[in-house]
Amino acid sequence: MNFKKQFMEGLLTKNPVTVQLLGMCSTLAITTSLFNGLGMGLAVTIITICSNVLISALRKVIPNQIRIAAYITIIAGFVTIVDLCLQAFLPDLAASLGVFIPLIVVNCMVLGRAEGFASKNGVLASAVDGLCQGIGYTVALVITCIIRELLGSGTFGGGLLNNGEGIRIIPEGIPAMQMVMPVGGFLVLGCVIAGSQWLMKYLNNKKAKEGAK
Amino acid sequence: MKTESNVMYVVRLAGTLLLIAAIVAALLAGVNMVTAPIIEQLNYEKTQAAINAVLPGGGEEIAFTDDTGMVAKVYKSEKGYAVQVQPAGFDGTIDMMVGIDHEGKILGISIISHTETAGLGAVAAAKTSAGENFRGQFVGESGSVGTAKRGTGTLDAITGATITSEAVCTGVNAALDCVANLG
Repeated sequence: MNFKKQFMEGLLTKNPVTVQLLGMCSTLAITTSLFNGLGMGLAVTIITICSNVLISALRKVIPNQIRIAAYITIIAGFVTIVDLCLQAFLPDLAASLGVFIPLIVVNCMVLGRAEGFASKNGVLASAVDGLCQGIGYTVALVITCIIRELLGSGTFGGGLLNNGEGIRIIPEGIPAMQMVMPVGGFLVLGCVIAGSQWLMKYLNNKKAKEGAK
Repeated sequence: MKTESNVMYVVRLAGTLLLIAAIVAALLAGVNMVTAPIIEQLNYEKTQAAINAVLPGGGEEIAFTDDTGMVAKVYKSEKGYAVQVQPAGFDGTIDMMVGIDHEGKILGISIISHTETAGLGAVAAAKTSAGENFRGQFVGESGSVGTAKRGTGTLDAITGATITSEAVCTGVNAALDCVANLG
């Protein structure tokens, strides 16, 4: 187990959003304010860790032929638990994320980690993998949220700071409403993916140069 | 492979899946037992807060007749009525409360829950100045309301959310009709 390697993979080189392009539906739909991005990221992180641990623990019990059905059952269970807890203890966030919490069940990132990692690795490594991938997902979401919210609503920290209105950076009337609409989601996500690709190339080049010296 | 072992194999597959489903179901039942009363309490408080917002002091639930299919509940007090209506919005149902006095004038509207687009339709329910302005327009109106944008009335629609604005008007009209029918 290599925590640093797993962390870098989750955050950048195998980021679920910008590299694996998993969970696009929720990414595009909810990245309209910082509160939504953080909430969704945390919910998915918790679910990925829990389902990774349980699936990893049961990996020798679950027969190969029914593994997908078993994974989905386990993931759906955790998603419903998180959904109920959010409704009971964080009703504002539950109202804001709406239908996208139940839809985490079909977020391919969670199933992807179950099939790609947890079913082949130990419990602890799977928990770390869930955490790292979850952090990567959250970071990608939060960056997309900050850009979209700034350009679309002209605020920072919507739903979280300043009584939920967010701190106004661009005066009202100037921000382009289209940026919080789906079209803005695609535009910003494309730029975020391009940015992460550039960062990876940059880091690789730096490494290669250092290696050459 | 012999037939018997095939049968056993299928039974083992089904059994494993059944076991997993049973464990997950038991977990869910446990969580639900803890959260269900809290969620119910929150929903009750939300509805009561909405009634109080449009009809100070709240009211008693009464029977009603409704042709639109949008009216969910009607509450009555000496100040007037609070009508819970559920018109179809841009995206899903808007659950809202409309306060109407005995002369048929709107006392206020309050949106309990909705799934409108964040930043556009959601403004109708937001606690921001734009949201307050939109909801404030309804106060004192009577008979029938509509948006100027659609030519159905005189109210200002929310920028970029004509359908949501019109849906709120539809809900308010259903509430007005319902109260008018009560006499």
